[in-house]
Amino acid sequence: MAEFALTTKNLNLYYGRFQALKDVQFSVAEKKITSIIGPSGCGKSTLLRVFNRMNDLVEGVKITGEVNFENRNIYAPDTDLLKLRKKIGMVFQRPNPFPISIFENIVFGLKIHHLYRESKEFLYKFAEESLKSVLLWEDLKDKLNHLATNLSLEQQQKLCIARLLVVKPEVLLMDEPCSALDPISTAKIEELMQELKKNYTIVIVTHNMQQAGRVSDETGYMLLGELIEFGATQTLFTAPRDKRTEDYITGRLG
Amino acid sequence: MKFPPPLAQKIAFFVLFVMTLFVVLPVLFVMFLIVKNGIGAISWEFLTAMPKQGMRAGGILPAIVGTFYLVAGAILFALPLGLFAAIYLSEYSQDTWLNRAIRLAIINIAGVPSVVFGLFGFALFVSFFKFGASILSGSLTLGIMILPVIITSSREAIDAVPGAFREVSLSLGATKLQTIRHAVLPHALPGILTGTILGIGRAAGETAPILFTVAAFYLPRLPQSIFDQAMALPYHLYVLSTQVPNVDVKIRYGTAFVLLVIVLLMNLIAITIRSHFRSKKKW
Repeated sequence: MAEFALTTKNLNLYYGRFQALKDVQFSVAEKKITSIIGPSGCGKSTLLRVFNRMNDLVEGVKITGEVNFENRNIYAPDTDLLKLRKKIGMVFQRPNPFPISIFENIVFGLKIHHLYRESKEFLYKFAEESLKSVLLWEDLKDKLNHLATNLSLEQQQKLCIARLLVVKPEVLLMDEPCSALDPISTAKIEELMQELKKNYTIVIVTHNMQQAGRVSDETGYMLLGELIEFGATQTLFTAPRDKRTEDYITGRLG
Repeated sequence: MKFPPPLAQKIAFFVLFVMTLFVVLPVLFVMFLIVKNGIGAISWEFLTAMPKQGMRAGGILPAIVGTFYLVAGAILFALPLGLFAAIYLSEYSQDTWLNRAIRLAIINIAGVPSVVFGLFGFALFVSFFKFGASILSGSLTLGIMILPVIITSSREAIDAVPGAFREVSLSLGATKLQTIRHAVLPHALPGILTGTILGIGRAAGETAPILFTVAAFYLPRLPQSIFDQAMALPYHLYVLSTQVPNVDVKIRYGTAFVLLVIVLLMNLIAITIRSHFRSKKKW
């Protein structure tokens, strides 16, 4: 049996009176890519933000149920939020490097986790490893002092992933990471995801069904806050059990 | 009376242009007048010597130095206070009646006439705290006066930093304080600096707040400590123009010219910093 990185149990989430997640129950397998698909507003991004508790920043959010990570409920009152977010990192929809140098972006995580050392060799080596891990080193090795916001969007998104890997997460949450990119860049990011899968558990939210089909091992389909169906990607796309899933993947909805 | 549209267009354009001209002309005229009459007075001696013969000759060095001290003191006091207040108001404060009252108070402080600040500074710093008429009292008074400028511009700069920066930082496991320190303030810095420098420009040119708190009528020596009185350019100008008979027009205009140049220089620096950073930032 596969190991699970994240497990939700009777998860409900409310924005004020509006219920955005309804009794969501599923598990994310370790070192696999799990994708969540569904039409806009179905709650898939909200679900993603449950895992690193970014929803906490929204006013009036109420969550019931459990989300287990490393055998602990992350919504237990004694959760160390900073540690949790360090272990469960997030890649955002729009590439969002800071408007500072490429190098400074990479070492941002070091600074906030007090791992920054003033040694030039250490920092250079560090930048090299980080950029290699996202397949950017060859392109950027002579441009470390250039402004990160001048890179192409694909490079920016990869840099954001590098910035995230620096803090040594275990789970990567990706919130439509390719929606701002063209098809070729998208393919490159997907290639990178397959590379990252060896060491990280990945959960990706996407409105792009083909992408879910290409990259993920398991897929969940969400509609109006409910997880309608969850299972192996192949099965879900070829032989969906639920009529609503079938409607969506055959293009009759959304 | 009805005009055909193209003519109405032209008339409207002309009227708006003339109105704009009316706004700019007096400023240009004042500057022209001061430059034309003042530039002749500028000499090495004028800038670096003490005033002589009851201010009718010599230089204005103590006034320049005094203004410099006052402005530096005001910034030293107002920048940290204003910046911290701005951080609190933008990043921490909830929408409660107390915070709304604080925000309203800040807006109101900006509208208080400067002579009221002068009297307030006199009552609080000179009399109550017994700092006497001194650079300290004057700096604190000017500092309070420019607080709203610094708070408002710092808040605008902080609020203009995209929420995505905070989100990324928090999602990487940073604390709120680290997020402010590393992901917000560096990107708000140009705006904060601009506000500060505009504040400096304002503080350098004000007469009323220093009138009762620091300004010396005639003190032909440099201040020795923050408890000394000092001369300052705006007050010196007022004295030369109204209190001392038979002052050469050249000296008056020269003093005004120096003050004008200092204030314009400050604004120029502010604009340069802003445009420099603006060309760099992309969001």
